[in-house]
Amino acid sequence: MQKKVEEISRVKQLAFVGKVAAGLSHEIKNTLAIINEFVGLMGDLLKKEPPSDWQLYPRLEKTIPSIEEQVHRSAGMVKRLNRFAHSMDKPLTSLDLNELVQEITTLAQRFASLLGVELEAQPAPEPLQITSDPFRIQYVIFGFIERGLWRCSPNQTKVTLACARTEDMAQVIVTDQGSPEGDWLRKQIAAALSPAGISGEEEDPELGVLALTMAELGGFIEAEELGKTGNRIILSFPAKIPES
Amino acid sequence: MAEYRVLLVDDEEEFVSALSERLELRGIEVDSALNGEDALAIMVEKTFEVVILDLMMPGLGGLEVLKQIKSAHPNTQVILLTGHGATKEGIEGMRLGAFDYLIKPVDIEEMLEKMKAAARTVGTG
Repeated sequence: MQKKVEEISRVKQLAFVGKVAAGLSHEIKNTLAIINEFVGLMGDLLKKEPPSDWQLYPRLEKTIPSIEEQVHRSAGMVKRLNRFAHSMDKPLTSLDLNELVQEITTLAQRFASLLGVELEAQPAPEPLQITSDPFRIQYVIFGFIERGLWRCSPNQTKVTLACARTEDMAQVIVTDQGSPEGDWLRKQIAAALSPAGISGEEEDPELGVLALTMAELGGFIEAEELGKTGNRIILSFPAKIPES
Repeated sequence: MAEYRVLLVDDEEEFVSALSERLELRGIEVDSALNGEDALAIMVEKTFEVVILDLMMPGLGGLEVLKQIKSAHPNTQVILLTGHGATKEGIEGMRLGAFDYLIKPVDIEEMLEKMKAAARTVGTG
């Protein structure tokens, strides 16, 4: 009973964060729309009556498309923020894992760029429809992207996220060209899923949380080293989260 | 003489004023309203081929305004303004008879094309 109350409370709190973030993103869009119209109007008026004796006019004329471009860039970011916020609305919904992986890869691009690492999503050719919790799936995938980025950072190599389907699971395969850690990862994950659970004193306690979240989603994690060239983490999600 | 008349309905006053001016510069006759109630009142007095209607407005929401427009003025085409593309409201709006939708911030050329196509279906544009 206590666990159920905690679960409902967690879902409601996330929905609250999502609702506030979605509302704010809507407001930002409105502001961008106003800036867009005013800069557009400025351009229209200058085109209609270009001031022939004003030396700064060509400079101003060139500035307008730059503002418009930045408005549209911001609008794209706000759109992603809005979609991410809405991922917290429902803990159980029908989703295409391909789309979710594309979205979380886009959200993680900035972190990859800061570390000088290339990050690439490789969607499966067909939709990977599952019924699950989009927010928790994104949390798990992001956690493994982040770890892949850290491993790749010293040599500024690459992380890829490939989507695939097995007979009964949908998969995200996170491959990184960083230092091999597959054995260590396996031990950490196994320790988190053991009856003793995570103690908080592990080398990477969040990895334990990722493993437990994955178990709650009815999925599992496989980790392997690719010789000396990197690691492959396979995240397998069931077609539907099992009833708790 | 303008090719068609447009009613622009959005609660963001500055958005409405700047966009109205831009459309007028292109020879389009524009009226505007800052809420659904005023929009419906204006439509009793004047005929419009196209209504550009924001979905998220305080008071009478965009979907309710759309329903009332389609009921009282079935020949008027409504183009919805949405913040985020294929939202639940946007899809519902299309089901209720909206001609099309535009995502904010609006691309003026795309808006002109959609308004022209909408006006064409009612015999102008």
